[in-house]
Amino acid sequence: MTDTSHMPLVPHDVGTQLFRARSHSVEVEAKPRTEVTERPRSFNPPAPKRYYFYLMAPAIAILAFISLYPFFWLIFLSLQDVDIGGGKWVGIDNYVKLFSDSRFINGWILLLKYSVICLAVQLTVGVMLAVVVNNSRYERFLVTALLMPMMMAPAVAGLLWLFLYNGTFGWYHWILQSLGILGSASILARADTAMIAVIVVDVWQWTPLITLIALAGLKRVPRDQLEANMVDGASPLRNFFSITLPNLYPVLLIAVLLRFMDNFRFIDSLLVLTGGGPGSATKILPVYLFEVAFKFFKLGRGAAIALTLLLVTIILGKILVRVFENPKSGRS
Amino acid sequence: MASRDVVSYETPFTRIARYASIVFVVLYLVWTLLPFLVMFMSSFKDLLEAFKLPAVGDWSGIGIFFEFTPTLKHYRSLFVDNSFATYIANSLIAAGGSAVISVIFGSLAAYSLSRVDFRGKQDLFFWIISTRMAPVVAVMVPLYSIFRSLDLVGTLPGLILAYTTFNLPFAIWILKGFFDNVPFAIEEAQMVDGATRFQAFRSILPLVAPGIGAFVVLCILFAWNDFLFAAIIGSGGAKTLPVATRELVQPQNIQWGAIMAAGVVTTLPMMALGLVIRKYLVTGLTMGAVKE
Repeated sequence: MTDTSHMPLVPHDVGTQLFRARSHSVEVEAKPRTEVTERPRSFNPPAPKRYYFYLMAPAIAILAFISLYPFFWLIFLSLQDVDIGGGKWVGIDNYVKLFSDSRFINGWILLLKYSVICLAVQLTVGVMLAVVVNNSRYERFLVTALLMPMMMAPAVAGLLWLFLYNGTFGWYHWILQSLGILGSASILARADTAMIAVIVVDVWQWTPLITLIALAGLKRVPRDQLEANMVDGASPLRNFFSITLPNLYPVLLIAVLLRFMDNFRFIDSLLVLTGGGPGSATKILPVYLFEVAFKFFKLGRGAAIALTLLLVTIILGKILVRVFENPKSGRS
Repeated sequence: MASRDVVSYETPFTRIARYASIVFVVLYLVWTLLPFLVMFMSSFKDLLEAFKLPAVGDWSGIGIFFEFTPTLKHYRSLFVDNSFATYIANSLIAAGGSAVISVIFGSLAAYSLSRVDFRGKQDLFFWIISTRMAPVVAVMVPLYSIFRSLDLVGTLPGLILAYTTFNLPFAIWILKGFFDNVPFAIEEAQMVDGATRFQAFRSILPLVAPGIGAFVVLCILFAWNDFLFAAIIGSGGAKTLPVATRELVQPQNIQWGAIMAAGVVTTLPMMALGLVIRKYLVTGLTMGAVKE
């Protein structure tokens, strides 16, 4: 009997052949292709991309001059102690001082308080208004009447409300007094009511924007869902909370972010109405910044404050743009 | 057959809700429009009449509000004692100039951004839009410092440039949305017929013209209503309407009648423009995020 145990089941050379063949083919594929010549020269005009960049260039150049350059200038400024005369390099001193500046911290707190209250009131009233106005017989007229305050210059609105709030001849003051809400002192004169006064003005002017946005959203609430829910016996109230509101959510998110940023951006009416006073009861951060930079002309210090404000806005903007690009949001 | 509305019957609850909503809308309308009414009426009243109020709690005395002899003296003081005609011209030039610059360069950039894809496009886009979203005061600190060294503070070109900081990004952002809606096939067809690229671009302009028109109006609206830029960058030589109105408030003497008249002069044209572009207002004010 021959001993076959040492012999492999598969002939030895087959295995090596297989292995060889495989390694061989890899080697062939890995070889650089030397025969490929240069592409034939194109007879078409130059790549269109370049053409589009030429069209873009002027706008980008202008933007670079009025936004990018100032941005770096802002950083540069924030590291200096600038007065009317000239600047002195102080490093991060401006930032260090901010942390011990109670008015700076107070400004942030007031800004948040102001924005959040404004938004809460505007959202509630704005959505309620949109629901009521939607599909009303007088919708066109109502919407037109409602959007009027948005057309008014905020500074003019501030002056107008200054007139209305006046303690001796303001009609709103008279109404509030007659209703027993207010004493004889003007609403702007007291620290605890001044904030309410400026919020009221913001609500007056910008609630219509929320209403308009919500109306646009309401038009897109799927009817079939509403009808199906009604056939199933849901009350109108139930219908609103379980169908309308969830469908409205993406547009409202946009509205909230936009208004939030606008509260950071515009201080025109507040500046005219109270100028941050009485004391510093309404001195929200942008107003404080305005004071530092353009009343006392401490541009370096102002630049440091402006950078903190910008940082928060950029983060908010990043969120907003993400919401914009979400297909579920308002874009149809 | 088209689907019919689901018929809903009036229940006590819906009836109450209906009345409540009517009351709500009426109250809100009064609240919204009353300041306008006060502004218009007061601008035609003598100051003594404008300051007249009924006694506290005397609701039947509201009629006082409508008892006055109309006078145009506040408007006269605006244009004779103060040079409001100049301020109107300043406002028009600043707002119009920046709108025109923004729309020319903005539409070129928006068109090319809508037609070409490249790496970093999203970042470029975010930079453009964040310029628009930045707080006005924060932008103004470096801008003021730069403009002062260029002697642009207090001049109309300076103000136009300042307004362009927020109008140009806005233009690019909004107009890109309009160009995205125009199919590239139209330009291709034009080019097949022998048009150059620029002619092809010009050929689609009529398609976006309504959008561009509405956008120009929006730019004018923003710039016209601006106070901060005008107060700081335009102070002195380039006084616009809101700033001039604000300056009627003097420590010793607040000229309320003239302020109300100036308010009417500033607000009326914008209300009219707002009605003209009513259709595009939501798109414009939400930066294209919400369409009607």
